Amino acid sequence: MKLSAIRPILLLICKELAIASLLLLGVSFIVFIILFLSPGDPFSLLLKGQMASDTIGAGTREALGVPTAWYAQYLSWLSNILRGNFGTSIRTGLPVLSEVIRVGINTLYLTIGSMLVTLLLAVPIAILSARRGMTVFNWTSTIFTYIVSALPVFWFGYIVIYISMHQFGLFPLAFGSSSQKIGWLYFMPPVLVLGIGNGTISEVVRYLREEMERVFSEDYIRLARAKGASIWKHSLKEGFLIPITEIIASKIPFILGGAVVVEQVFNWPGMGRMAWQAAQDRDYPLIMGITIVAAIIVRLGSLIKSVVYIIVNPRASQE
Amino acid sequence: MSIAPVLKIENLRTYFYSRSKEAFIRSVDGVNLEIDKGETLGIVGESGSGKSITALSTMGLISAEPGVIIGKIRLTTESVQKDLLQDLNNYVKINTSPGRIMEVYKDNSGWQKYTDRMMRGIRGKEISMIFQNPKVSLNPFITIGKQITESIMLNTPIKNRNEAKDRALYWLEQVKIDSPRLRYNNNPHGLSGGMCQRAMIAMALSSEPSLLVADEPTTGLDATIQSKIVSLLAELKSSVGVTAMLISHDINVIMELSDKVAVMYGGTVLEHGPAKDILTEGSLYKHPYTEALLASIPNEQHIREKGYLQAIKGDVLDTINIPEGCRFHARCNKITDRTREQCEHIEPDLKEVFPGHSVRCWLFVDS
Repeated sequence: MKLSAIRPILLLICKELAIASLLLLGVSFIVFIILFLSPGDPFSLLLKGQMASDTIGAGTREALGVPTAWYAQYLSWLSNILRGNFGTSIRTGLPVLSEVIRVGINTLYLTIGSMLVTLLLAVPIAILSARRGMTVFNWTSTIFTYIVSALPVFWFGYIVIYISMHQFGLFPLAFGSSSQKIGWLYFMPPVLVLGIGNGTISEVVRYLREEMERVFSEDYIRLARAKGASIWKHSLKEGFLIPITEIIASKIPFILGGAVVVEQVFNWPGMGRMAWQAAQDRDYPLIMGITIVAAIIVRLGSLIKSVVYIIVNPRASQE
Repeated sequence: MSIAPVLKIENLRTYFYSRSKEAFIRSVDGVNLEIDKGETLGIVGESGSGKSITALSTMGLISAEPGVIIGKIRLTTESVQKDLLQDLNNYVKINTSPGRIMEVYKDNSGWQKYTDRMMRGIRGKEISMIFQNPKVSLNPFITIGKQITESIMLNTPIKNRNEAKDRALYWLEQVKIDSPRLRYNNNPHGLSGGMCQRAMIAMALSSEPSLLVADEPTTGLDATIQSKIVSLLAELKSSVGVTAMLISHDINVIMELSDKVAVMYGGTVLEHGPAKDILTEGSLYKHPYTEALLASIPNEQHIREKGYLQAIKGDVLDTINIPEGCRFHARCNKITDRTREQCEHIEPDLKEVFPGHSVRCWLFVDS
């Protein structure tokens, strides 16, 4: 790639970094305020019944060096973050960053796998119905995608567990409980459930079909047909690559949200379950750490979308 | 024995079914045309007269459904002799109750597949097409050089990428794009409309087709660019020697480039013959519509003589409810008492008034 092609991408990344840092500041502040305002704190929850009196609790607080004013708490957290220190979990005492990364990998497997499942189902339906019109098969499959998108993911997850595991004993039940050889089997149910049930499948079908139909009716596709060229080749960029990165990037928050539920249901040791547990414990440093990582992932998605758009579309890179 | 014409369109009818009106829109309604090797046929007429639909029917690019294409389009070239519409109507079923079309069933995907199979090796290779609005007709995501190279590799014996690139540069030079090597790597949005049109012409010619279909090649360009494109086409016509179907509503363009002319109105050909007979004013046999078209050209002479521009009164024919009689009679100012009865009730035939020159008008039929 030539330098002239890389320059706009570098510019974009710089811009994106500036926006992302402001955004992270805002997100962390809002989450902190919500935590502060919600009833209970780590001391009252974790140490409940273990303290003889309130004064001893206050003493512990002082001994740990926790500021009392909310803004002082936030600022001390922020200054630690800027030095790369995410703090330690109040419940486990382990460093937040390494913990989040450890379980984040599991969540990454789950979300990427489920995204692939969504695309594997949605893309063929979208392509077929864009190209061949709404035949009986395409109607049925489109309606099917709308129905599965409307299923609540926790309910769907329990049904899958009940049928596949209890009735037929198809999959190993718990993470790491089976031999290493068939360990990947454990991945199947949660990945499938999140892929089908996260509610994005019908939107991927609809968006991709609309975009493809629009591109198929463009004048340049008619010219491609007139010269005997493949219309797939000519519509690939605008009709497929751009819409698919767009829809994936915009659905990342939904998939992460779905992952919280699916990880609970399937007892999957991921970021979602950890976030759930941390919220129960009011484990402030952990919640904040997970929030920051999730926000970074979402921004990363939109950054990838913009980069793909610039690489694919020569017009965008010259603006 | 005379050589068969490259393209012979016989009784072509392209209808679109309108569900709301429960009737066919008869965009092209019985067109007969012939294009001999090396000649340029100009098709002229107002918007909505069926010119472009005729061209798109020839290319098999009619995609709006539900449509019906009936007739024969015979293509005769060195390597291909066939009727492009053969068996196409097996994919369409029409339900009629007395006097009225109730419903049209069309196996659209089957129809599309069949056309694509039928046109394989013909689109691009035997017939190339130039469209209007070059800026949106070229793929905005691919450099023009690559688009031309693609066409060369698909449609000519050249299969080597480097050779094809050299050939593409040769054609870019032929259409007089300045610094072709630079332009080769440009995307369409980096070029002006005129340059895009030159690139599209280069692409169409690069496959060395037996027939070139140019659908409004100058529409959507600035007036100065238009005249440059016309003179480029005229030059290429003599240097490359193409056989072409040229469609335009601009009589000046047609005059400049065609050997024969067909005047279309309301889906049929009203007049057909050598360009010099039809497009010179004051020739003896001329359809009143052609005469009115010629009088409406904005040129110096007309303005000096009349002080205003002559427009044709009335609107373009409604092709759903085609009136009986001559299609043009409602707007015709040449109807005489002798012919009035016939003009209003019976459609005239295309009658040869001079060798090679036919007119569809009762004025030239001796009663």
